[in-house]
Amino acid sequence: MTKKIAFWIFLIGTLSSAALFLGATYDTHRQVGTLANVDKLSDQVVAGKRAFEKYNCNDCHTILGFGGYYAPDLTKVVRRVGEEGIRYRLKSPEVAFANSPRKMPQQNLSGQEITDLVAFFSWVGEINNNDWPPQDSKKRLSRGEQMMVAKVGVSPGAAVFQTKGCMNCHALHGTGGTFGPPLDLVGRGKTIEEIEHYIQNPGGVNPKAKMPPQKDNLSQRELEEVARFLATQK
Amino acid sequence: MEYRSQKIAYWYFAAALPLFVLQVVVGLWLAANYTFTIPQSIVNVFPFSTARAFHTNLLVLWMLLGFMGGTYYIIPEETKSEIYSTGLAWFQLIALLVTGVTALVGFLFGWTQGRPLLEIPMALDFVVVIGALVFLFNVGMTMLKAKNWTAIQGTLLGGLVFLALLYLLGIPFYRNLVIDWYYWWWVIHLWVEGAWELVTASIFAFVLMKLTGVERQVVEKWLYVEIGLFLFTGLAGTGHHYYWIGAPRYWLWVGGIFSALEPLPILLMVFDTMHHVKERKEKIVNPLTWTYAIGCAVMHFIGAGVWGFLHTLPQINYYTHGSQVTVSHGHLAFFGAYALLNLMTFYYAMPKMKGIAAYDDRLGKIGFWTMCSAMMIMGLTFGVAGVLQSYIERVLGMGYMVAQGYMRLWMGVTMVAGVFFLGGLLTTVVDLFTLRPAKVQA
Repeated sequence: MTKKIAFWIFLIGTLSSAALFLGATYDTHRQVGTLANVDKLSDQVVAGKRAFEKYNCNDCHTILGFGGYYAPDLTKVVRRVGEEGIRYRLKSPEVAFANSPRKMPQQNLSGQEITDLVAFFSWVGEINNNDWPPQDSKKRLSRGEQMMVAKVGVSPGAAVFQTKGCMNCHALHGTGGTFGPPLDLVGRGKTIEEIEHYIQNPGGVNPKAKMPPQKDNLSQRELEEVARFLATQK
Repeated sequence: MEYRSQKIAYWYFAAALPLFVLQVVVGLWLAANYTFTIPQSIVNVFPFSTARAFHTNLLVLWMLLGFMGGTYYIIPEETKSEIYSTGLAWFQLIALLVTGVTALVGFLFGWTQGRPLLEIPMALDFVVVIGALVFLFNVGMTMLKAKNWTAIQGTLLGGLVFLALLYLLGIPFYRNLVIDWYYWWWVIHLWVEGAWELVTASIFAFVLMKLTGVERQVVEKWLYVEIGLFLFTGLAGTGHHYYWIGAPRYWLWVGGIFSALEPLPILLMVFDTMHHVKERKEKIVNPLTWTYAIGCAVMHFIGAGVWGFLHTLPQINYYTHGSQVTVSHGHLAFFGAYALLNLMTFYYAMPKMKGIAAYDDRLGKIGFWTMCSAMMIMGLTFGVAGVLQSYIERVLGMGYMVAQGYMRLWMGVTMVAGVFFLGGLLTTVVDLFTLRPAKVQA
């Protein structure tokens, strides 16, 4: 190999990779509007991003997996701890983490900044990012449900039934709400698939049903588990 | 030293070394944050985030000073002329140091852009840009006036211009977080796996050529192939950072394939270093400088090549992304590729600038082996912590702090290894500042 051939290897290698990279960059810009829900990227979300940067949150926390590894990832924080949980931690970290071996600084955020930050996290949580991080994936049960399965020994479906608000309307063996019918015998004559189908859209099966569709409330995994649980009630 | 203006490099090296020491001291504090419970009152005034900004910005600052000093040392010998203006070189050194120190003090008072590694506020960014322009002007004018073009010069100048251009993308505020991270990686990834590789490949080629006496034609031929492979795999390889940010799905393929090839150019670098050393035409006068050259190639391959490859495939990265596995890779790669490269340059150039042909390397050897062993242990302990985190937090879904509890012991071991690293570094720094001629062997 001569130096001239080596130079051509350099030139062709660099240019071909650069062309692919720049082309994909152009296409990424085209698609990012849909993937990141740019229509919902309001001024309040941007204000939240500014607050996020002002307090250097990102050097302890990761978001989309980037940043400091000293504190939990914030990509799906709304799904994990809820909006109220975020407000509490931001407002009184010294109380929230009093018993934790790791502390969060009290930054004296204004009420407006807290509201903006919550809006920012809500927007980030909806970015279509190939279902990362795994611990917050929709294919999993929620943290609360996992705890019930592990510590109380209930079935996953029973955990979903208790944590997703089913009992606000329905009762099992006398415990629960009375707004909807009791479900003690709901498994009689119904298959798992039928129950799943009903939960997703009650109005489609029975036009008079007052129960709201549970499409957004439950992940696919939760839907399957709760249907399997209800099918055993007979 | 053949040219008077090369002397300016000494002050760049002298400024870089104490900053490296400070970086490691802050690093120990970071490890302590993981190992012990820091009381709320201290966290309120000096949180982990501020210390981390110190640790990373000091890294960039001292390494850039090292690269610039290295450039000022090499350029006169390559172009066979004095540097265009030593006055500008002095101005730029002081400007960079003042900006750096201002930025660090500013972090203590919450003056920050708040983006990891790019915390320097916009106002100071402009000073950095002016400093970079002065540097490029000075280097470019030296080359233009001399008109003795070589591949080493071209690669060096190309790398430096690329480095400066990429910095610009880190300055503005981005409304969309996805786009923000997309271009954040143009600074971070394309620096360390693009521009910095060009700069170090050319500095490395220069030192290797001078040490071994292998012909320029051979060294530069391999330089072309290496930087060609670096850029071929590194440019599109940026995709391995775009798996989970909300970019299109094809980045899993682009990033996965190109970054799987990224160890190749480094492996080639190891082979041709070994080859040049074997085919050397010069005697080994200063064995420690040679040890640094080989150590740099090998640790570069382990830290950047092997450790990078280990968690770059999307199927693995899904669980390891943003965990201590990344930290393990970051430490080994930066140390192997860039810290050792700079120290090799210091050990090559500083004795010459003091007029010492053969230096006493007893202390330096202790420093080298202590640092390399301590960093290797740190890479492993960070790695164990990272695997625990990936499994407990991500696979089992047991919660962040549960995983951190299991990792705590390993972060403590890392801190102890860090103390040894600091010991090795202090030995090295003292040695570099007090170089003495070696006693003639009987």
